[in-house]
Amino acid sequence: MAKLISFTPKFIVGFLVLFSISVMLCGVFLRYVMLPITDWMDVDPVNFFWVEEVGELALTWLVMIGAALGVAENSHFYLTVFTHKLSAAAQRRMAILNQLIIASFGALIAWICFKLFTLNSGLTSPALEISLGLFYVSATFGGILMALQAGGNIRRLHTGEQPNTAGGH
Amino acid sequence: MVLISMGIVFVIALLISLPIVFSLGASAVVGLVLGGYPLQQLGSTIISASQSWVLLAIPSFIFAGSVMEKCGMSQALVELARAMVGWVRGGLGMSVIVVSYFFSDICGSKMAEVSALSSALMDPLKKSGYRAEDAASLISAGTAMGMLVPPAIFMIVISAVTNQSAVTLFLAGFIPAATIGVCLCLLVLIQAHVLGWPKDSRPSFVRLAKAFKNAAVPLVIPVVILGGFYMGAFTATEAGAIVALYSLLAAKLYYRNVTWREICSIAYQSGIMTASVIFLLAVATVFQYILGVSGVPQLFAKILAPLEAYHWTFLLGVALITMLFGMVLEGLPAAVVLIPVVYPIAVKLGIHPIHFDIVQTAAVGIGLFLPPMGVGLLMALKFANIGVAQHFKYYWPYLLALFVGLMLIITIPELSLMLPRSAGLVK
Repeated sequence: MAKLISFTPKFIVGFLVLFSISVMLCGVFLRYVMLPITDWMDVDPVNFFWVEEVGELALTWLVMIGAALGVAENSHFYLTVFTHKLSAAAQRRMAILNQLIIASFGALIAWICFKLFTLNSGLTSPALEISLGLFYVSATFGGILMALQAGGNIRRLHTGEQPNTAGGH
Repeated sequence: MVLISMGIVFVIALLISLPIVFSLGASAVVGLVLGGYPLQQLGSTIISASQSWVLLAIPSFIFAGSVMEKCGMSQALVELARAMVGWVRGGLGMSVIVVSYFFSDICGSKMAEVSALSSALMDPLKKSGYRAEDAASLISAGTAMGMLVPPAIFMIVISAVTNQSAVTLFLAGFIPAATIGVCLCLLVLIQAHVLGWPKDSRPSFVRLAKAFKNAAVPLVIPVVILGGFYMGAFTATEAGAIVALYSLLAAKLYYRNVTWREICSIAYQSGIMTASVIFLLAVATVFQYILGVSGVPQLFAKILAPLEAYHWTFLLGVALITMLFGMVLEGLPAAVVLIPVVYPIAVKLGIHPIHFDIVQTAAVGIGLFLPPMGVGLLMALKFANIGVAQHFKYYWPYLLALFVGLMLIITIPELSLMLPRSAGLVK
């Protein structure tokens, strides 16, 4: 069960990358292949304006969930100025403080975007007429996930286990 | 007061190694609270900044580059470059510059490029008699130049930040990159004669043809990008999707050495990298909002006023600041924090936005490989297993060549504007 819970967001991120590429390819096909055909046959053109909205929605979810997973993967850019010269215990305390700040930031985004979601859920997008709240709720999910990932890192630091430091820059 | 508090929070957060995006976020929250702005600005700006059609090109190009790297296309490009120029004195060194140019075309990430080129070229260079310091210098300088070759992710971000067309910027990058490439090749030629660097045997026609055949698959991409953009056939986002599909088909049907499991893993890694880039851009937008309403651009305009007499002094001044920012903060964070502040001043001075963007892109590329802290340089040195101080004695001529190239780009705007102008994309 725990494996499934940790695997699901990773699957969603991978899926969203492939899905957004597919959506863009679909747009290319409709614009460059279908549009000339419908023009030539003198029939109603195929509407491809939805491509932009779906692509942007996928990107927003990808960014919010991916940024949260990036906390566990240590993929966000950071500087190492002097912390590496501290003792191991001081480094651990510093790392815990950083994770607490990240968790608080994630929780703050989740809370703010939930309020924006409730405010905007009645509004709809121009092409597909889907609720604009869907954009904001991605940040609510992402923020909660970010706080959870940072919490997981704190737990690992407490038990003496090193969080992933393979990524980062 | 608000700005000072934000600055203190940002610096302390950086010093304790909090990731840059959260350092920006924390100082933005402090700025919003102390400045009396609604906290909702944080959520709405992050969402609107990440909801962008242009930025959708980023996951496609990262995915395509990673798939191509997995297939071993970089090795085919190395072989082609060696066959083309390896037989002249210092030719192997020049082939590093040539392969960096072509490889940048298929690989959107600088770190991935340094890693791929170092893995493929460090040993052959050392075996051919090049010192480890020269090998690391060639790879670093070549990759710094490659920053200007599309589809660099940085170019997509800077086009979004300055509200310019990514296609125009992509087209504009080809000639400035070649200009820096020529400066580096001339340096290699001089060094090769002074230091007596070896040369490969002249390739037979069959070897040259075979190298071209093996590299034909990755070489289609620059042709598609340059041709497609030049003719105005598609947008950067559409090009990203086409290149991603092409790389997938090449991997599965031509090279046949990448499994579906590996494709899924690449998709996931591309997603994580995309999220790191765009989330940073989105959070920095909130930071910029507070800087904007607090009058920082006007302050910068006053500070930079002495440089405004000539376009080139202004561009050089800003490029040097960007380089230092790029060395300390990495390219992307530097761009999203600094460039929006100085860009309006450049436009006011009458500097062409595309010229400005190209100069800043080149400066960020050099900054990534600037000693002692440029992350790209540190990565190349890790592969060469040498220290920064030891390396610098041999690296400074390459830095000089990069600066000469940068000065040419700054003083001759037409180098950046020629291709987009002939394609009818700029006036």
